[in-house]
Amino acid sequence: MELYVAALGFGLISASVIAIAAVGFTMQFGITNMINLAYGEVMIVCAYVAFYVNRAGVNVWAAMIAAALAGAVLSFLLNRFLYGPFQRKGTNLIGMVIVSLAASLMIANILLPIVGYATSSYQVDQGPLLRWNGLVLTTAQIAIIVVAVLLMLAIHGLLRYTRLGKAMRATAANPTLARNCGIPTQRVIDLVWLLTGALCGVAGVVAGLNSENFAVASGAAYLITIIAAAVLGGAGQPYGAMIGALIIGLVTELSAAAIAPEYKEVVAFAILVLVMVLRPQGLLAKRGALAAAG
Amino acid sequence: MNTYYAGTLLVYAAVDIIACLALNLQFGVSGIVNFSFIVFQSIGAYTAAVLSMPPDTANGHFQVYIGGFQLPFPIPWLGGALAGGLLAIPVGLVVLRKLRTDYQAISLLVLSVIANSVITNVRPFLNGAAGIAQVPGPFADQVDQYSESYQLLYVGLTVPCVLLVWLVASRIVNSPFGRSLRAMREHELAATAIGKNPVQLKMTIFIVGGVIGGLSGAILVGYIAVWAPSVWLYPETIILFAAVIVGGRGNNVGAILGALLVPVGFFEVTRQLPQKIGDWVPPPNLIPAMEWVAIGLLIIGFLWFKPEGVRPEPRRVFEGAPLREDLSSGGNP
Repeated sequence: MELYVAALGFGLISASVIAIAAVGFTMQFGITNMINLAYGEVMIVCAYVAFYVNRAGVNVWAAMIAAALAGAVLSFLLNRFLYGPFQRKGTNLIGMVIVSLAASLMIANILLPIVGYATSSYQVDQGPLLRWNGLVLTTAQIAIIVVAVLLMLAIHGLLRYTRLGKAMRATAANPTLARNCGIPTQRVIDLVWLLTGALCGVAGVVAGLNSENFAVASGAAYLITIIAAAVLGGAGQPYGAMIGALIIGLVTELSAAAIAPEYKEVVAFAILVLVMVLRPQGLLAKRGALAAAG
Repeated sequence: MNTYYAGTLLVYAAVDIIACLALNLQFGVSGIVNFSFIVFQSIGAYTAAVLSMPPDTANGHFQVYIGGFQLPFPIPWLGGALAGGLLAIPVGLVVLRKLRTDYQAISLLVLSVIANSVITNVRPFLNGAAGIAQVPGPFADQVDQYSESYQLLYVGLTVPCVLLVWLVASRIVNSPFGRSLRAMREHELAATAIGKNPVQLKMTIFIVGGVIGGLSGAILVGYIAVWAPSVWLYPETIILFAAVIVGGRGNNVGAILGALLVPVGFFEVTRQLPQKIGDWVPPPNLIPAMEWVAIGLLIIGFLWFKPEGVRPEPRRVFEGAPLREDLSSGGNP
């Protein structure tokens, strides 16, 4: 029983990490209609930016801001110079997926000679242990959960209560109509990439903190978990991604306690297959995966 | 150039051509973005390996794997092809029935990563990350595997397979079935409206591609004698995609050309690169990494400047049919 309570704690932290990442991923898809398979690799780039800042003596939580900036800039450039032009050219969904996978491959292999194959880890003060009814968490782990909750609340506030959020939702629902109503969709999309890129950067750092070490090769594993959470929640749905992250985080950690930690990704995959067979549109989306192209 | 090197190059070229023809049937002709193609090649390789190898207790039990049937040629190759086809059935049933095309692509990508991670972590099944070694090739008990004549023998066994696959692929492309596939690729709804069943079409071509992919793996493993998770990571599929895109999607000749230009071409170019430039010795991981960057650039460059490839798919026009330029632009949203 102890084991499962502890796993629950780990599950909450995993869920926090996945939520930050998956919300960014799913917003890119929902608003700009782009499945960005380079997301995992951008996370790794940002994790390394924070790593070098951290190694220069800066606190890792401050380094997270540098990572968020790097993520925002990189994602913005990726859209401005690669995805955007291809989308305007009328490349179909298949073409866009291939372009983003090629981008992912290139980012990983530009990074590889710079940082090497070895795993890296942050220098972080884990802080005193906090115990509560068998749950044992370090202060750093609590901080990850707090960061995630704050970011989720911020996203919620942005989407519900601001003009920008409204413009984003309008652009997601129908870009042509939004443009005709006077919403500068191009600027909205630029802002979406900056914002989701920042989320991606923060996610890279918290993922690195949570798994204790990371390497260029971790990008694919991150991406799979993110896809599982986003698809489970209903692709393009930020709230769905949050719920999906919670489910995937808890289930994978509980299964790690019950079976073996190596199979975490396999469990995430099993959930993904079940969703695709039983409810391909995800928990929240009305159309999602079932919808016709466009 | 000695016989061994020529043999290696020819066998690799043959395997890549077979794989590219299969991927072209799925991706080029039918529009199925099979990002887990390498998994089908790999299941063919593993199956052929365990069919041809002795039980794992041989050679001091230094590796563990299931099976070990020591069956003679051609059973391992046929078994590899069969395994590829069998794997395509459950995968196709999950992925191809309801999902949107980009969802299909990411599901298959996820499958590719997960399958690799499972095989790496579950050692008793196929020897985990270390992979299986000392796979005997066809007739290895009768001809010395390290002799020059064995190279010739292997090329002799491989070339008919290439011809057979090419024959099958061109028959499919030029048949009414191929026409239905192209109709589905261009406009699935319209194809459904004239009575084509897209799920059936996709499943059929997915299984055919799986069989051919499995065969390519079986041929390769008999030659290189080892198979491990590190040789079938998901980026290997991207090389084949690059080949088909460069060669010309939907065109079998293009797929063959792409196989020769991209995988084989890169293999040759890398071999010709100098070990050091002046006094500067590049770090060991730089050149492989730059190769991947080049593959990525190649894909993006071709999709931007020449999406139809070096040998574009011929436009098939029926005599007497009215020409409509906008028909060829396809079903973009």
